[in-house]
Amino acid sequence: MKDVVLPPLAEGIDKANVTYWHHKVNDFVKEGEDLVELVTDKASFNLPAPISGILKEILLSEGNEVKVGQALARIE
Amino acid sequence: MQNTFPSWVKKRLISNEDFFAMKRLLSEYSINTVCESGLCPNICECFSRKFATFLILGRICTRACGFCSVKPSAHSGLTLNAAAEWVKKDMPGTVDPEEPGRISDFVKRLNLKYVIITSVTRDDLRDGGASQFVKVVEAVRCISKGVKVEILVPDFGGRRESIEKVLGIRPDIFSHNIETVRRLYPVARSGAGYERSLDLLKTAKDMDSGQLTKSSLMVGLGETGEEILDTIEDLKAAGCDILTIGQYLRPGKDSLDIERFASPEEFERYKTAGEAMGFKFVSSGPYVRSSYLADEIYYKGEERSYERCCAAAIG
Repeated sequence: MKDVVLPPLAEGIDKANVTYWHHKVNDFVKEGEDLVELVTDKASFNLPAPISGILKEILLSEGNEVKVGQALARIE
Repeated sequence: MQNTFPSWVKKRLISNEDFFAMKRLLSEYSINTVCESGLCPNICECFSRKFATFLILGRICTRACGFCSVKPSAHSGLTLNAAAEWVKKDMPGTVDPEEPGRISDFVKRLNLKYVIITSVTRDDLRDGGASQFVKVVEAVRCISKGVKVEILVPDFGGRRESIEKVLGIRPDIFSHNIETVRRLYPVARSGAGYERSLDLLKTAKDMDSGQLTKSSLMVGLGETGEEILDTIEDLKAAGCDILTIGQYLRPGKDSLDIERFASPEEFERYKTAGEAMGFKFVSSGPYVRSSYLADEIYYKGEERSYERCCAAAIG
């Protein structure tokens, strides 16, 4: 089981908004493949899956705010 | 937060152990980077490949450009004399004599082969910080033989002695960003001058025709495509060799709005136009930034000059 965590983006940016999940719970995701789309004040990002596995849980759905270091999902 | 980024303006966020190691090390050496201060969306990618643009002369800028997130001093935009008054109160920070040593140690530690040095604008300093640029470059070259050094300088208020001083160190690339089109200078680059910036690039070529020069331009601040092309022509007329063009992204609510997103095709048109005008290399795309993949651009520019020299020699 691995948490998908928002990494530090840049100085002064401590949060982002979840805008789109590329996968649903129970989907198989491949390491390095786009998992979730996020937006900060400055830009829009795609966060890739850190490992291959089953997306067990989405902790923050679209429209929610995520802080740097916070877990967004769990992959097993 | 702006939620309406077109599909081509989405950066992949890759953060691996190399990225975190780079971040930690920069902090350990107390080195500022424009990657962090400028909230650059490419930061994960560049730090992961041990690439950063060092921001010297402190973190507080004496200008307050409408597109930039580097912290302006409360007194940005003051005249030189007034700025000199408040700097006595230590506002943007005194010039740090340890800075050249810290940067050169860092370069040595990571065995970096290509280094970019930039700075905040320091209108409060008599030489605009030119001598600190010289000290940093000399320190880096002294400790790390064969390293390539690109400097991305402020306009030094147009002061000739400062410009000559930094050119005297013969950087591998002398870079100064035009940033935007002539018409938008009053709103986007208050305190700077379109002609002054062009003159800076021209001076570099006049002093030494072999000096490689580079400049960068943003799209999306409200300019027209025609104005972009005019600016590219002006840069060419100033002898600029390398051009980078990217999408403006608003760093925060207080900064200028994004007027539009240029399409990948539009960026491609600028690249084609620039290359047709004779630039040695043009990098153009939504996430292109002044220092993005600067090492690759440098080597491609060099290759292009070499090919041209060979072609000319053959006749």
